[in-house]
Amino acid sequence: MHPMQMPHAVSGGPRPPMLEHSESQSASSSASSPEQVAYDETDFFQLQRNDSQSSIGALSLRDITMSPPSERDYRLTPISRLPPELLIGVFTKLGSSHDLMNCMLVSKKWSRNSVDLLWHRPLCNTWNHLESVVASIGNPKSYYTYSELVKRLNLSSLTAEVSDGTVEAFQSCKRIERLTLTGCRKLTDQGVMSLVEGSRSLLALDISGLDSVTDHALRAVARNCSRLQGLNITECSRVTDESLVALAMSCRYLKRLKLNNCTLVTDESIAAVANNCPSMLEIDLHNCRLVTDQAITSLLACGRHLRELRMNHCKLVSDRAFLDLPKPFNLESLRILDLTGCEQLHDEAVEKIIDTAPRLRNLVLAKCKEITDRAVFAITKLGKNLHYIHLGHCGRITDDAVKELVKCCNRIRYIDLACCTALTDTSVTLLAGLPKLRRIGLVKCNDITDRSILALAKTKPGRPPKLQTLSLLERVHLSYCTRLTLQGIHALLNQCPKLTHLSLTGVSAFYLREDLTNFCRPAPEEFTDHQRNVFCVFSGEGVNRLRNYLNDDPTGIYDTESTMYDDHELVDGDNDHQVGSLRINDDDDVDDDPDGGDGSDDGAQAEG
Amino acid sequence: MSAPSMIKLQSSDAAEITVEREIAERSVLIKNMMEDVGEQAFSEAIPIPNVNEAVLNKVIEWCTHHRADPPSTNDDDSDSRKKTTDIEEWDQKFMQVDQEMLFEIILAANYLDIKPLLDVGCKTVANMIKGKSPEEIRKTFNIQNDFTPEEEDQIRRENEWAEDR
Repeated sequence: MHPMQMPHAVSGGPRPPMLEHSESQSASSSASSPEQVAYDETDFFQLQRNDSQSSIGALSLRDITMSPPSERDYRLTPISRLPPELLIGVFTKLGSSHDLMNCMLVSKKWSRNSVDLLWHRPLCNTWNHLESVVASIGNPKSYYTYSELVKRLNLSSLTAEVSDGTVEAFQSCKRIERLTLTGCRKLTDQGVMSLVEGSRSLLALDISGLDSVTDHALRAVARNCSRLQGLNITECSRVTDESLVALAMSCRYLKRLKLNNCTLVTDESIAAVANNCPSMLEIDLHNCRLVTDQAITSLLACGRHLRELRMNHCKLVSDRAFLDLPKPFNLESLRILDLTGCEQLHDEAVEKIIDTAPRLRNLVLAKCKEITDRAVFAITKLGKNLHYIHLGHCGRITDDAVKELVKCCNRIRYIDLACCTALTDTSVTLLAGLPKLRRIGLVKCNDITDRSILALAKTKPGRPPKLQTLSLLERVHLSYCTRLTLQGIHALLNQCPKLTHLSLTGVSAFYLREDLTNFCRPAPEEFTDHQRNVFCVFSGEGVNRLRNYLNDDPTGIYDTESTMYDDHELVDGDNDHQVGSLRINDDDDVDDDPDGGDGSDDGAQAEG
Repeated sequence: MSAPSMIKLQSSDAAEITVEREIAERSVLIKNMMEDVGEQAFSEAIPIPNVNEAVLNKVIEWCTHHRADPPSTNDDDSDSRKKTTDIEEWDQKFMQVDQEMLFEIILAANYLDIKPLLDVGCKTVANMIKGKSPEEIRKTFNIQNDFTPEEEDQIRRENEWAEDR
């Protein structure tokens, strides 16, 4: 909104009458984005003529709220001096559809200037809303041409109910910029194509989970949506290189691409993206198992803006993907790199990665089983940039590596060392000193004892005195750390007021005690009986309840501790078989955390 | 530190107001003018033909209070549908004026290109709208309903989906 566009809206003086304003004209002229609304001055002056003061003389509000007439009394109410773009500026601040809808009913001027905002993103979160929206869009005699106003459409709340027939009602909406159909599994090529055909404005398309979609629909995207910047086809597992190459060649502004579990994708698609889409910021190749070194090298070599690369379980990828990068070469923008399960990677590759991408913030090397302390020494060069590091199942890592890591990278907020079985209390004691640590994963670090937990519960040095007693820890994963006892955890609970997740699956000091497991959340449905028996995860309110319980009667609780096994086998005969089943299955390392959210949360999650 | 350089502004009703240059330059319009006109601007009063003395003083009061604000982050361009109508306390008090002045401030902020002030103004008006029925809104702002009952009905029907929440 440049001020010079409308200086006369402020300046005084009478104006010649304008032409009669036509409603339909306004409806079509208001089709642009709400931010850049056509300058609709007509009705501003129209009001001036029609809005006779006498007719509202009955309302004395005017007298109360208005100051005495100034030299530029328009005989107008103050708000009517706002030109349309400023009125829209006001409406933009209204959060709810309900308020906007009320504005639409105030007057014709208000109506015209609020309808764009209201229909920018029609609310389709329930079937009733959807039906109401569809009815208005489809009605040829509607007051406004709503189909031209819709810029965002999100049907992901309705998922299973949405069919090809449902979305056909929206095919007249050709100005959609963001289309979100996540999880609408009933949709086929036909439905997607009816929406995409002719939609030249589409910027972002999310059809993740639509597993019946094929190349046919994606070719239509390539043909029609040359402005596309974001595409999520997670789990569209029928899609092949054929459509993706066409798409990369016609959608050259592509910035974000998610191909998770598009298992047919090969190097050909990735090379096409590398060669045609220079603005790429984020690419997710999770489980694109056919992708090889060559494609990754060319993607990195062409992707100087690349901020985020995920290639979990791209099993064919080896050290060469990185060692073959041109020299010298710099990926200054790369912040997030996920290499989970790229098992062929060695220390050399990690060294090259760190040299190339010195500003990495999140690095996931879970299940890169070949890497050793040497890789971690390289990682320490990231220094303060490193916030998030996952080294789960990198079993060759020792306390020496952790020591260097803590020394150099003291801004780490999140660390996972699940199944790094060589680590001891020495490592955890050092990690406990990280001032910003929020989450620590130590699943199956068998050697650690209460000493580690007491270190985590200890006051951190160097913080302002008032905060000294508090720990920032929010999520602590200790499943299968079998040597832990109640004492350490009790101290941890009391020292970490922000704790929202504490997993102790397979730790007998907990899962055998029904008085404590009362506060657990239920085991996931897909768990076997054995997994259920050892499951022990406290989350959310459960953490607080456990803390309160332990604090209420600490002595009574600890009494049982020394002889706990015996006690419980005697008292709770039911538990006998659980004790028996515990030591068994070391491989059955289901941690806890299907809701992990960050995907790599679960160091010890059994691999599928 | 050297004395702050002062400039003069001339309101639409010919009043001259002396103000620190730094404060006046919260207005992008004035800032650009200063850059274009250069030193000359210091000797003559800059005409602000669209804003009267009372409003201009009010605007300067706001600029003075906010002189040290960090420049606004330009993240709002992509998502200008900011939902929040939170207004800091001082600004709330500042905006407790009659509607005449309120809308004059908004128009002046727009003309002078002081985006944060325009924002506060728009939020203030939005807060006066929130939760009110169309009839209550009309009363608040003294707006005439120019819809026929049939038109009103039709619009209500066609936007039924927005009535929840």
